[in-house]
Amino acid sequence: MGNISEFKYWRFCAWNGPVFMFVFIAFWGLMGHNIPPWNPETPAAVVANWFRADANLIRTGMVMGMTFAVCYCVWGLAIGRVMGKIVGKDSLLVDLQVWGAGLTVVPLLVSTSFWLAGAYRPAALPDEILQLLYDWAWLLIDLAYSVTTVQLFAAGVAFLQDKRQVPLVPKWLAWYGIWVGFMFVAECLMPFFKTGAFARDGILNFWIEFSIWFVWAPLLTVYILKAITRLEQEARV
Amino acid sequence: MRLDAGEGVLSLTTAPVHAEKDRLPGDPGVWVFITADVFVFGLFFLLFSLGRVAHSALYERSRLVLNPALGLANTLILLTSSWFMVLAVSAAREGARRRVMRNLALAMAVGSVFAVTKIIEYTTKIHAGITMLSNEFFTYYFVFTGVHFLHFIIGMVVLMICWRKAKTQPIDGNYVVWIESSGCYWHMVDLLWVVLFPMLYLLRAA
Repeated sequence: MGNISEFKYWRFCAWNGPVFMFVFIAFWGLMGHNIPPWNPETPAAVVANWFRADANLIRTGMVMGMTFAVCYCVWGLAIGRVMGKIVGKDSLLVDLQVWGAGLTVVPLLVSTSFWLAGAYRPAALPDEILQLLYDWAWLLIDLAYSVTTVQLFAAGVAFLQDKRQVPLVPKWLAWYGIWVGFMFVAECLMPFFKTGAFARDGILNFWIEFSIWFVWAPLLTVYILKAITRLEQEARV
Repeated sequence: MRLDAGEGVLSLTTAPVHAEKDRLPGDPGVWVFITADVFVFGLFFLLFSLGRVAHSALYERSRLVLNPALGLANTLILLTSSWFMVLAVSAAREGARRRVMRNLALAMAVGSVFAVTKIIEYTTKIHAGITMLSNEFFTYYFVFTGVHFLHFIIGMVVLMICWRKAKTQPIDGNYVVWIESSGCYWHMVDLLWVVLFPMLYLLRAA
C-alpha cells in the first residue's frame, strides 16, 4: 500500500454500495414497477398501458438506474482491496470477486435499457412487443445470477481465511454470503413458471431472493467501512 | 492429557482438549449456513402445506404416484450414512486417522446409493410424462427433492474433501473443527429428508 491517502478512495468506493442500493430501490424498484414485478400472467395490454401511461416515470427510473449501475462494480473494487489485506492482493479470490461485481453491472445495465426502450415510444409498439421487453429484462436480470454468485463465493471464501483475532469481516457474514450465492440457483426455475412461488414475482424467486441479497450488501458495507478504518490506523502506526 | 470428570468417574485421556458439552460442534459460522437453509426449507414445507389444504384431492392423487418404498430406502440410506459420519467425527476426536478415513469412505459409499435411487425415481417419472410442470404437487416434489439433491451432492463433495484432508493433513484440532462442521451439514441433509419423506410420500389429506 503505497500512499496512506489511498484509503479515502477505498472509503469512497465502499460508499458506492449504499448509493447503488438506494438508487435501485427508489428508481428501478418503485418507479419501474419492479417491487414486485408484474405477475407473468398479467395481460399484455395491462403491461403495455402501464408503459404508455407512466412513460416519463419509467424513463426517469431507468435513466437513474443505468447511470448508477456502475456503482456496483466500484463497490466491489473496495471489497477487493479489503480482501487483498486478508489473502494478499495477488490472490485469485480478489480477481474473482472484482470480476463478479463488475460483470453484475452487465445485466443491470442491459435490463434497465430494455425497460427504457419500452418507455421510449410505447404508443408506436404493439402490446406484445412491450410485454416482451418487460419479460426479457426480467429474464436477464434473474438468470444472470451466477455472475453475482461468483462474487459472493469469492468474498466469502476470502473472509473465512482471516486469521485476525477480530476478523475484518465476521465469519458468520462470510458464510451468509456463500449461502446467498447458492440460493440464487433457485432462479433457474423462474422461466418455467408464470404463477406461484417460483415465478418472477413469487415468494421465493422475488421476495426471498432479493431480500437475502439486500441483507448481505448493507451489512457487508458496514464491515468494509470499519475494516478500512482499521487498516488505515494500522498503516499509520 | 486431560482429566475427565464425567459421571463421577475420573479418567485420563489423551484426546484433544474440548469442552464438548458446552461447545457448538464445528465452526460457528457454518451454523449460519445451516440455520438459513433450514429456514428456507421450513418455508418450502409451509408452501406445500398450504397447497395441500387448498388442493387436497389433486395432492392425494399425485402422492399415490410416488413410490414410498424408495422414499423409505432413501431415508435409511441417509441415516446409515450419517451414522458412519458420527463414527468418523468420533475417530477424529481421538486422532485415529485410519478410522476417520474408513468411516468417511463408508459414509460416502452408502450415501452414493441415494443418488442411484433418486435418479431411478426421477427418470421413471419423466418417462411416464410426469415433470415439475405436470401439476402443483409435482412442482413441489421435483423442486424440493431437487434442491435437497443439490445439497446432497455438495455434501458428498464436502465428505470427499474431509477424506482427502484426513489422508494428507494431521488429525489435529483444526481438522476436528472441519470434520465436525461437515458432519453438522451432512446431518442437516439427513434431517431435511426425514421431513420431506413423510410430507411428500406419506401424509394423506384429512
